[in-house]
Amino acid sequence: MLVNEQLQYATTPRYNFPQITQDTELHRKLLEASQRTMNDVKEKAFQPFSTELIETVAQKPHADISSDIEGKTASTLLTPLTPIQDGTPVVGIDVSSIKIGETETGVLCAVRGAVVWNQNRRYRRLRIGPFPFHVTEENKRELLSNLNGGLPSETSFLHIPLPETISRLCAAIERWIQASISHSTNDGIILWDGSLTAGFPGSKLNDVSLALKAARNQRNSVLAFSKVTSIRFLGWRITDLVAKREGPCLFEVEDLPLSMTQSSNRLGRIYVAKLAVNGSAFRLDVDRALAREDGVKAVRRLLGNELMYQGYPECLRLAHIYSTFTANDVIGVQSFLTHNYGLRIMPRCSMRKALFGPYGTGFED
Amino acid sequence: MRLFRKVGNTLHVLSFPGEDVEKGEYLLVEDKKLEKSLIAQVIDVQFANVPGVMEELLRSPDADETPPTEDVDPLDIMSHILYIQDARLLVCKIYGTVFEGRIDPENNWLPSRTQSSIHKLPTSSLLKLANISKGLRIDLGTTHDMTPLSIDACEMDGRLNIITGKKGTGKSHLSKLLALGLVQHGATVVVLDINGEYTSLGLAADGAKNEHNEKIHVLSPGQNFKVTLYQTNLYVVMRILTYALSLPGTSAREFRHIWKALEENGTVTLHELGGAINRWKCNQHVRDALYSRYYSLVHSGFFTDNMAEAVDLEALLKKSDSNGGGAIVINLSDTSPADRQMVVEFVLAKLQEVLSEHKIRAVFLFAEEAHLYLRETYWDDAVTRMRHFGLFTTFVTNQPNTINENIYRQADNVFLLNFVNEHDLEIVSRAARVDAETATSIVRDLPPHHCLVLGNVVKDFPIVVKVKPMNVQTMGQTRYFFRQKREEVLSPNLPSA
Repeated sequence: MLVNEQLQYATTPRYNFPQITQDTELHRKLLEASQRTMNDVKEKAFQPFSTELIETVAQKPHADISSDIEGKTASTLLTPLTPIQDGTPVVGIDVSSIKIGETETGVLCAVRGAVVWNQNRRYRRLRIGPFPFHVTEENKRELLSNLNGGLPSETSFLHIPLPETISRLCAAIERWIQASISHSTNDGIILWDGSLTAGFPGSKLNDVSLALKAARNQRNSVLAFSKVTSIRFLGWRITDLVAKREGPCLFEVEDLPLSMTQSSNRLGRIYVAKLAVNGSAFRLDVDRALAREDGVKAVRRLLGNELMYQGYPECLRLAHIYSTFTANDVIGVQSFLTHNYGLRIMPRCSMRKALFGPYGTGFED
Repeated sequence: MRLFRKVGNTLHVLSFPGEDVEKGEYLLVEDKKLEKSLIAQVIDVQFANVPGVMEELLRSPDADETPPTEDVDPLDIMSHILYIQDARLLVCKIYGTVFEGRIDPENNWLPSRTQSSIHKLPTSSLLKLANISKGLRIDLGTTHDMTPLSIDACEMDGRLNIITGKKGTGKSHLSKLLALGLVQHGATVVVLDINGEYTSLGLAADGAKNEHNEKIHVLSPGQNFKVTLYQTNLYVVMRILTYALSLPGTSAREFRHIWKALEENGTVTLHELGGAINRWKCNQHVRDALYSRYYSLVHSGFFTDNMAEAVDLEALLKKSDSNGGGAIVINLSDTSPADRQMVVEFVLAKLQEVLSEHKIRAVFLFAEEAHLYLRETYWDDAVTRMRHFGLFTTFVTNQPNTINENIYRQADNVFLLNFVNEHDLEIVSRAARVDAETATSIVRDLPPHHCLVLGNVVKDFPIVVKVKPMNVQTMGQTRYFFRQKREEVLSPNLPSA
């Protein structure tokens, strides 16, 4: 058992972090996909958007359905947590996308991923991208199929609006990075942003299952944190269930009758995690294929080896910060597009402003 | 560079890494369609207000940190992001329009943002366009782009000038350069030298005589500068008694009677004056007042009855005027404050006398720290009356608040060296020849021996110049107690006072 927990990372001069940069396949595919879409839009004009962040599909609210209550007392579902400090590496992954502008035929967007490692409280980050994409009605199917490794199966694919396509593109890249990290990390805790839910558009069951399996094969535990959840129990948001409980603790809601979408496949065991004494509570999905005890132990190891900022893991927080696009990034990407693809920026005219003048459009100044 | 904004006579220009522009440099904003160009001087260089920079910096590692970070950025977009982060905003002041090869002061037109090209205007081109560095040239030094800058001595003729900057920045050096430049062109220069800094103007750095030696006359009051009452007419003596020795009006009236009586007898001497005051029938208080002033004159050592040791200042001035110029340095360094005022009043009154009688053409007066010896009313005289006589003053000071505000408003040429004190900067920015923002922004960052030249001599185009060294023995250096140690550490760049 002790041998299993030993680290098996390649030695680097300063830190013992895995070398994801060697995964050139991932970069090459992203680069090719990006360039294929961008070559179609050379020398054309685009209207820049104001910086608008696109939420990933996984975090979007799902339809609610009510279920009956099954009698279980809260105390039996509550697991107080004691940290295990054993030097387990923690890896956080996040991907962000942003709409850069609009062309005559589609939408220009950029996607960037970030991976943050923590080993013995030393943090290291890797940023992948940004990669610009020109998503059009014509290329959206090909784009997603390339990234997903095959044509999407949904028959209604052609009717997906472009913003939804960008979300799926973002989700596909995120899955890809997650899978890559699952393969390259050993004996660690891998933190995903969102939930371990699959089977809905943009999150293919097979992809998520494969990424989780790869992680388990490398003796990793995957924990997924949702910043916002719409799941309710008896009308209460599940994160409110532990509001008055003393942290750190886990509240297992798996067997409770929850109001949530039935169509998706839950690959994680759902908990509410309050990982700091005065921190916030988050929905936490633990890989369902792990034994319940192993899942709880993974959370205890996370607690012992990772900083918690208001109950949220620092690696995941940093990954979000590093992947997020700032206004400066957007201007930089626009500059890249104008220099490298000869795109011309055209001022966006506000229809509201044109119609209503200063009335009700003050915030657009 | 891209034109961003114009507000009044201020231009905001965006510049990007690689387009290195410094404060004080000139830009030409050329609108090819209108065939006109704006000339603008960069007065401040700021970071452009790029949105999101704060967030970007907060999440980025320090530049000198070996980052435990890695970026996979095959498209090299990060270089564009960093390029934008380093964008600068150049705040510029417009100084005119170039149209058909001529400079016009108008700036009430807007160049196109999209069609205008912006590039640096080399100083040599500016000098040519503005017709600077012509005429009787006084070489000041070199500009930032190593262009030699000369000013026309004619532009100092009939003008009121100010040289100011904090101590150790090279005011006296610049003042000597200007004084010698004027002398070279045949002008008569009188220097009121409070610290004895100009006494070696005629000596080279190695102590040997330099090319100016013959034209430099150093007069030390009480030593080689004594005068007889005979040479000093009543007008001059009355000015000394009234302004330097504060003689009350009633006593002054009695003194005038005594003087007239001595003149009638042909016995205007110190000795006779003392006797006359003693014998004069007047109120005892008046007699006491006259006696106290008389003894001040006697004890100053400046007045003598010995014609052989007396200096004829008028003759010296005439000689300088007719022999191709010269500098008369009044060394006030070893003179008490009261005697100093007496000497200065004598010199000024004598200058006014010879100038008003057209015995000489004009005099350039250099007054160092003038507040220490000039009476209050001289400030207004300098602005209004003196130039009509042909007395053109250059005030040199490290305390700008000691110069009357009128002087700043009326100054024709201002030579500003470094100031960092906000109060000092606020005062110098009152000069009519200088845009307050320009003075404050550029002067604050001037290195020692760099000067912002403003006014007629540069045709109102503020120019920063590195003042050239001179082959003159330096006398204005601070005298250090730990000199030897300083020389070991700082040699050879000891700062001069």
